[in-house]
Amino acid sequence: MTRTKQNNEVEPQANVLKYRKGEQIIKQGDYGISIYIILRGKVEIFRESEEKEVPLAVLGPGDTLGEMTFLNKKVEVRSASARALVPSALEVWHPSLLAKKYEEVPPVLRIMIDQALGRLVKMNQILDRLNLSLQEVQETPESKLPRKESRGFYRKNLEVECFYAPKKPATGFQGSLSGRIKNISMTGLRMEIPSKNLSFVPHGIGDSFQIDTILPNQQPLKATGKVVSVSKRNGRILLGMSFLDLPEHYRKTLWFFMLPT
Amino acid sequence: MAVDPRLQAYVVNEQLYLDGTVIVEEGSVGNWVFVVLEGSARVKKKTDKGQITLDVLKEGDIFGEMEFLEGAKRPRTASLVASGDVWVGILDVDRLLKDYQLVSPKLRILIRSLMAKYKETTTKLCAKVGAPSD
Repeated sequence: MTRTKQNNEVEPQANVLKYRKGEQIIKQGDYGISIYIILRGKVEIFRESEEKEVPLAVLGPGDTLGEMTFLNKKVEVRSASARALVPSALEVWHPSLLAKKYEEVPPVLRIMIDQALGRLVKMNQILDRLNLSLQEVQETPESKLPRKESRGFYRKNLEVECFYAPKKPATGFQGSLSGRIKNISMTGLRMEIPSKNLSFVPHGIGDSFQIDTILPNQQPLKATGKVVSVSKRNGRILLGMSFLDLPEHYRKTLWFFMLPT
Repeated sequence: MAVDPRLQAYVVNEQLYLDGTVIVEEGSVGNWVFVVLEGSARVKKKTDKGQITLDVLKEGDIFGEMEFLEGAKRPRTASLVASGDVWVGILDVDRLLKDYQLVSPKLRILIRSLMAKYKETTTKLCAKVGAPSD
C-alpha cells in the first residue's frame, strides 16, 4: 500500500473495551463523547421514553455508536441507550483527534455531511413522534434482559476526602464537616463519616447537605445531596446520598470522570 | 438561502428542469451529486401506499450525498422531481472523490455508518407514513 502524507499520520489512539451480556454501554441523556466501533458481538440500541424501552436497532461488527454526538455539534447528550446482547468487544475512540481530522475534511464534503445530518436528525424527530402517537412500542425478547445499571463504570469506587455542610444550617452549627467518599455515580454517592459528626448536626434520612470535593482527576465537584440511607460500621457511619442538585458544569465533570479509561 | 460559494465552485454543469420533470429516478444507479441552484425540487419515495414527498429541496440543498458518501454506486434511495421550474447544478464527482481520499480512514467509517443510519431511517419513516401526499 502506498502511503501518502495524509494517512501517514498517527491515527487516534483507541482502547478496546469488553462488555458482558446485558451490560450497558451508553445511557441516554448522559454526556458522552466517546465513539465506539463494534469489533465483536451484538449491541442493541434503544430509546427510553417514559419508563418504556423503544428498540431502535441491533448492531454488529463494523457498526459504530456515538457518531451522531461527534458529528452533530448540536447534540450534547446521548440520544439513545446501548447495551450488549451477547459478550461484545468495542473499540473506543477519543473524539479530540477525530475532531481535528474532521476540521481537515474538505469544506464541500463537510457541507454534504452536515446536510445529511440535519435531515437525519429531522427524520428521527418525526419517527419519535410517530412512535409515540401510534403506540407501536414492541418489546423484543432481548430487551427483557434485566434493566440493571450494569455498566462497569457506572459506579466508581474511590477514596477521596470531602467537606460537607448542612443545607439548612442547624442551630449553633457553623462551618463544615469532613468525610470520605467511597464511591460515586451520576446519581449519588456513598460517604463514610466519623460518628462524632452526628453530635454536631443531625444526619437523618431526608436531610440535605452541600458536598464539596476534588475528584482524583483534580477536578472540583460540588453538589447537593440528600441522605437516603444511614448505616453503622466499626464506629463509623456510612451515608448513602442521592444528588438533589448537580449543576450542569459539575455534571459534565463527573461524567468525564466516570468514563472508562 | 443562497448557494454556498464553495459548493458553487464545484458545479460543472447547470441544467434547467421544467415543472414535474423527474431529475433523478429512484432505483437508478449513480453517484452524481446535485445541488439546487434556483427554484425547488421534491424528494419522493415509493411506498406501499403510493409515492410520498420526503422533503422539499431549496437553493443550496444537496441531493445524492447519501449514495456518494456511502462510497459505492448504489441504487438511488429516492427520486428528485422538479417542483416548478428549477435550475440544478451537477457537482464535480471526480474532485469530490479526490477530496474523499484525503479523509482519515476512521472518519470514513463514521461517515459510512452515518449514511447507513440515514438510509435505514428513511426506510423506517416511509414504512410508518406510507400514505400518499403531494
